[in-house]
Amino acid sequence: MNAVTLDDIRPCLEGIIPAMIATCAPDGTPNVAYLSQVYYADSRHVALSFQFFNKTRQNILVNPHATLLLLHPQTFAFYRLRIRYLHTQTDGPLFEGMRAQLAGIASHSGMAGVFELKGADLYEVEDIEPVPGDCLDAPPPRSGLLGSVRRCSERLARCSALDEALDIVMTTLTQELQIRHALILLLDPALQRLYTVASHGYTASGVGSEIELGQGVIGMAAQARTPIRITHMTGASLYSHAVRRTLTDSQPGLTLETDIPYPGLAQPQSQMAVPLLCAGKLLGVVFVESTEALSLSCEDEDVLVTLAGHLGAAIELLRLDGDEVAPAGAGDTLLPCATDSRLLQVRRYRSNNSVFLNDSYLIKGVAGAIFWKLLNDYQQRGRTEFSNRELRLDASIGLPEVVDNLEARLILLERRLVEQAQPVRIEKTGRGQFKLCIGARLELIEAD
Amino acid sequence: MTGTAAGRPGLLSAEHVALIASGVSTIVASRNAQHQPSLMRAVGASITPQGDQITVYLNRVSASQVLDDLHDTGHIAVVFSEPYSHRTVQVKAGRVQLRDAGPDDAALLQRYLAAMEVQLQRIGFGASCTRTMLAHRLEDVVAVTFTPEQAYDQTPGPQAGARLADGGGKV
Repeated sequence: MNAVTLDDIRPCLEGIIPAMIATCAPDGTPNVAYLSQVYYADSRHVALSFQFFNKTRQNILVNPHATLLLLHPQTFAFYRLRIRYLHTQTDGPLFEGMRAQLAGIASHSGMAGVFELKGADLYEVEDIEPVPGDCLDAPPPRSGLLGSVRRCSERLARCSALDEALDIVMTTLTQELQIRHALILLLDPALQRLYTVASHGYTASGVGSEIELGQGVIGMAAQARTPIRITHMTGASLYSHAVRRTLTDSQPGLTLETDIPYPGLAQPQSQMAVPLLCAGKLLGVVFVESTEALSLSCEDEDVLVTLAGHLGAAIELLRLDGDEVAPAGAGDTLLPCATDSRLLQVRRYRSNNSVFLNDSYLIKGVAGAIFWKLLNDYQQRGRTEFSNRELRLDASIGLPEVVDNLEARLILLERRLVEQAQPVRIEKTGRGQFKLCIGARLELIEAD
Repeated sequence: MTGTAAGRPGLLSAEHVALIASGVSTIVASRNAQHQPSLMRAVGASITPQGDQITVYLNRVSASQVLDDLHDTGHIAVVFSEPYSHRTVQVKAGRVQLRDAGPDDAALLQRYLAAMEVQLQRIGFGASCTRTMLAHRLEDVVAVTFTPEQAYDQTPGPQAGARLADGGGKV
């Protein structure tokens, strides 16, 4: 019979059912304690969070031998692990991952200060004993995950524009992995905030909504540059509510009209946020959630982290390549723009580049400045054809000094216009090129 | 060795006695001569109204090492925890009495199972899960009786581990 490995029993480490640890004091007195979570470090090591200097910790510093009791959340079979304390880590990926995970959980319960991680106690797994006894049938193993990753990777390798890359990942998440609620957010490097650029499965798309670094599960994953997965939540304090509340609290100046609501679920039971990184740089976050507990497994995390790696590389390569111009293929015929003589009043506020169309808020910031430039060129010179390159070189837009993703701003603008069913559209005409479609008479007004 | 320690009536507060008596999650630990700890979930537990004597029930099939260690060293630590509220208390003793469970214990084990089904239902686990987790044949069950010598409040948080004085106050 093959020995059970730590990888075989990873569901036991999901924190669904608390694990128990027994240790022994120097005088021979045993101690038993609940563990909120046992972290998988690698196939031969687990880590425990050091938050309080409790009896378990006092004991293992003197006598490193401990025994864990784990329960499989699907089969209800017990496993006993003989483990040996090695050392405590206070930095590095394992520590950061555990700290962000704890902080993510704490952000739901309003206990952020209480659950601060002091260290990651690393243990070697010396033996895994399947405890004899009854158990339920294990669900059939999931298959085809690697195939999904492969297809996504192939499509990303072929795509030549950011919007395609975002759509490919979104399609993989929602159609191949059956995840029903997903967001992709990108980092605004000047403001150090994340803005939603793609979403799926929400009543309001929330494209353009913003999240601060460090705020909730999404902001925490971005700040710590580590995935955070919460498999089951108590209904007590809910993330989306916390996000809305802290957004308003932290930015009293943010007027309600320019606050695109964060689209998240009102009562999520599972959530996962994975940072998009490339060459060590934070680019954004992929976020998924579910109304069902336990619906996001460690396998989902493996897949999402892999996809995020591919997407991060694609975003960076496409950004560097973004000024290259190529006309649309022969098969891509563009529909003519609709014409209409309705009046569309466009009001731009210089202070934050916020733009309102007939008094309804559209967009602000860099995307607002781009939109204003396009409309002025149209109004004054009748221009409708533009290139990414000229926008990047245009000082009037005031693109931030730091490297910014112009194409992401255009996607944001394009999607906001479509969502609001405005008589103004942006349509790509080829790589690095697009057309402005205006089906209204414009009145451009500026205000401070 | 097994045996009976001098009683410490009043070590546990009425609240802790009630918690243990209500039938909550029960985890039993011991250790061998080399100080390697062992542990297993109990399939039943009971406490006298005064709190001076606790009996936990272990399944010989799944808890053979713990039972061997209890037999050899007499050292026991037991955590009782209410899954929904996380209210938790740990008791310890240096002496235990072991005996095979018999027909007289069956009703108690049934009551414990029923209580645990309700407990785990509250956190979303169906009765079949609880029955699997606590499955046993009466002839495999060993009753472990001891007088608690030390008690600790272990409700999660910075206060976890605080030793209880007589009557359940924190030291």
